[in-house]
Amino acid sequence: MTGKASPESIFTWVCEILKREFQISDAEISPTAHLIDDLDLDSIDAIDLSVRLEEKTGLSFKEEDLKAIRTIQDVVDFIAERLD
Amino acid sequence: MSRPSPPPLAALLGRLRRASRALRTGLAFAIFGALGLLLGLVLFPLERGLTREGEIAERRCQRRVSAIFRLFTWVLRGLGLAEIRIRGAERLRRPGTLAVANHPTLLDVVLIGAEMPQVDCVVKKEAWSNPFMRHVVTATGYVPNDLGETVIGACAERLRRGRSLLLFPEGTRSPEGGLGPFMRGAAHLALVSGRPLTPIVVRCTPPTLMRGQKWYDVPDRRMCFEIEVCEPIDVGDVVDPGEPRALAARRITAALRDFYHERLHNRNA
Repeated sequence: MTGKASPESIFTWVCEILKREFQISDAEISPTAHLIDDLDLDSIDAIDLSVRLEEKTGLSFKEEDLKAIRTIQDVVDFIAERLD
Repeated sequence: MSRPSPPPLAALLGRLRRASRALRTGLAFAIFGALGLLLGLVLFPLERGLTREGEIAERRCQRRVSAIFRLFTWVLRGLGLAEIRIRGAERLRRPGTLAVANHPTLLDVVLIGAEMPQVDCVVKKEAWSNPFMRHVVTATGYVPNDLGETVIGACAERLRRGRSLLLFPEGTRSPEGGLGPFMRGAAHLALVSGRPLTPIVVRCTPPTLMRGQKWYDVPDRRMCFEIEVCEPIDVGDVVDPGEPRALAARRITAALRDFYHERLHNRNA
């Protein structure tokens, strides 16, 4: 992905990935939804999600980065800050 | 108002029986502890003296653990504490079996392990720093419950070498009479290794040694274990090609949990 992306558009496609590949329903999705506690992702899902996000953004997610990410909003913020 | 009548003889006898059962249960725990010491202090050092580290030493130590578990099942039967019935145990003796089980009591791993001369387990990683557990988990080559991807890799590697594996998808003991949420590790492992899942259904009546129950909180009658080793499930039949693994693992796990729910529910009904 090149150029600037608004936090809103990042949020939209992060949610797309969650719905398409992790069977998350619209009802479960909100910026404050916790990836593990609310969306039932596990550590293997976290790796798969980061791979998808890396493909999409060209960013690389390190293990420390992943540890700091808890909610969907954290994912969006992480990407928005680095794409700026 | 009349005085409360003295307890009838039947109630007294019942209390006596319960006390005797609690005593025998205590004895069984003591014997289990002693067998554990025998393993750690005698059998494992002996094996290590005879064989160098590595695959062969690990398999030999696992065989010792299984023998100790089998001995303990005789103790349970001999003390009149448990009746144990197993169907389909021959399915567990095929090399490279990927077995999963529900986990109603503390004894499941002992009773299943007694039927598997070689079996790897995933154990809490704290065991590797626990002075009582450390030598058992290192000598047997059990898998520490670390990050998901690492555990799957270590388990898949063991299956590739023809070693069998036992997993409890609930990750902990089941809630009374039911099933906890299933973790998806077993499904991921089946996907990665291509091995079918062999489900083991464990039933125990009356419920005993459950999570949060004290050992002396014994039931009023002998525990009856029924262990059924079911037909292996080939996950390749369930998965669509090209499906993301996260989705496939979710579907397999949901199907597996339904399978257990059905088996446990229909029997109770």
